[in-house]
Amino acid sequence: MSELIPIILDVSSYILILVLVALGLMIVFGMMGVINMAHGELFMIGAYVTVAAQGAGLPLMAGVLLAPVVVGFLGLLIEAALVRHIYLRPLDTILATWGLSIALKQLVVLTFGPESHSVTLPIDGSLEIGAFSYPLYRLLLMATSILLIGGTFWLFTRTDFGLMARAVIARPDTAASLGIDTRRMYRWSFVIGTALAGLAGALVAPIISVDPQMGLGYLVPGFLSILVGGAGPLAGVLVGGAVVGGVNNLLAIWISPVAALITVYIIAILIIRLKPEGIMGGRRAK
Amino acid sequence: MRNNLIALLVFAILAAAPILIGGYWTGQLTAYLVYGLLAMSLSLVWGYGGILCFGQAMFFGIGGYIMAVLTKGMIAPELTSSYLGLIAAMAGSALFALALGYFLFAGRGISGAYLAIITLAMALVLERLMNNWYALGGYNGLLNVPPIKLTFFGASYELWDRTATFYAGRAVVALVYFLVTWLLSSAYGLKLTASRTHPDRLASLGYNVLTIRLSVFALSAAIAGLAGAIFVTLDGFASPTLIGFTLSTDALIWVAFGVKEMLLAAFLGAILTRTAESWLSEIFGEYWILILGIAFMISVVLLPKGLLATPLEKLTGGKGR
Repeated sequence: MSELIPIILDVSSYILILVLVALGLMIVFGMMGVINMAHGELFMIGAYVTVAAQGAGLPLMAGVLLAPVVVGFLGLLIEAALVRHIYLRPLDTILATWGLSIALKQLVVLTFGPESHSVTLPIDGSLEIGAFSYPLYRLLLMATSILLIGGTFWLFTRTDFGLMARAVIARPDTAASLGIDTRRMYRWSFVIGTALAGLAGALVAPIISVDPQMGLGYLVPGFLSILVGGAGPLAGVLVGGAVVGGVNNLLAIWISPVAALITVYIIAILIIRLKPEGIMGGRRAK
Repeated sequence: MRNNLIALLVFAILAAAPILIGGYWTGQLTAYLVYGLLAMSLSLVWGYGGILCFGQAMFFGIGGYIMAVLTKGMIAPELTSSYLGLIAAMAGSALFALALGYFLFAGRGISGAYLAIITLAMALVLERLMNNWYALGGYNGLLNVPPIKLTFFGASYELWDRTATFYAGRAVVALVYFLVTWLLSSAYGLKLTASRTHPDRLASLGYNVLTIRLSVFALSAAIAGLAGAIFVTLDGFASPTLIGFTLSTDALIWVAFGVKEMLLAAFLGAILTRTAESWLSEIFGEYWILILGIAFMISVVLLPKGLLATPLEKLTGGKGR
């Protein structure tokens, strides 16, 4: 039993990060129908903000706080310069953001080099209860993630902003005619989505190796989580993330990372095929 | 008709190319021709069939590996015929596409963005699988794939020579181009357009949309498989990069630069992008990829019809099909 708890905690922390990434994707996708293929790179840039902060001698906390600001601002620029022009061409958004992801990846390679970086743990200690011990930072990471996920849910279900956002998702034209500035809603949803990705990247940076190719490893599972869980209710992403992240990590520990990856993708494709609206239901993009 | 004339002109210019550019570039151009074939297969399935496949290199890679395994005699030492390899590569890719397509399109089906993500995920899975499939060379791939051996009534000729290989490749590409163009101008092309733009109406007229989608998916996979099979004989090795994600997205960029609804533009998009890449990547070094990404973004946003389509449409005087 005592060997099992660290595994469950490891898997949970991966799932929570995946959910954070997927949540950002889903806000952008649900709101605007935009598939942001550069989301993984924004996550990666979030992690690199902590690398840069560490290089400048700042504490990790500063990096973690800076990351969503930097990446959110980047999101604002991307929205204004790129995504705004192609809202009405959803398939083109895939291609354009794909070009963006190539450019961002190469920009990071040019700035930081192609090699991987590591960020030192800000908190070294472990929580020890009897024979059981677990790194404190990971516990902190999980707690922060839960707070962030809860905060996002609260924002979209309990506030005026959330009400307007959901109105724009459900009936954009009606919402606009009722005086909601849909353009502004799109812009800020996009910024929130990207800032979440940046924050997730910064949080996870100390426990993984940070390299320019890391984005894809979260983008595809993030998308699969949305598809598996269902793009309708926000809760879908929790279920999807749990299925994709859980199966992936457990099989990686028990069998091998390759077998895990293949199995996860096949399970995800089966679920998407058999239940196209996702486990939790909801609307489907055409 | 004018479209066919332009195509004839392009293939005629290609025929003259080896005289002008010398041995090394002829070899490179042969590889670009094969990439052009891959781009055509993607243009067919995406531009005409409306299926945005983010993993077109899957079929390229499957074709390549089948060709390599067969002609190296890894299955049966007596079955090393190049013809057999090419046919098996096309059939294998097409069968894989049929199975995958049945999964994706049957029932309520998956389309648009979802399809893009799933095909991307499949390409990642296959690449990972080939990297770890040690019987097929794993990460290193399969080396020493023999060149294509043409046999006619007992006489045989191995395609070692660069120029001969180039002309053989050009002949195959031209043949595929004109066959597909002919097919698209037939009733099948009309059904294909309808399955992309108005699938419900097509179904209400009594046609089976699933069959049409599957057929174009399989046909495009067969062409990509053929391209892959030829490709492994050029350099003599098949590696997991052929099947994966980078080549898939490269192909997407070529086709989008060209324009997806025009086979010839997609083909030229591949050749020109690759040529530009080999020149400009020397000049710009690591900045080249950055430039490519930005150029791709700009081209998608400002020229949704592609960089090459606008002038080509003027020349062909119409929609180019």
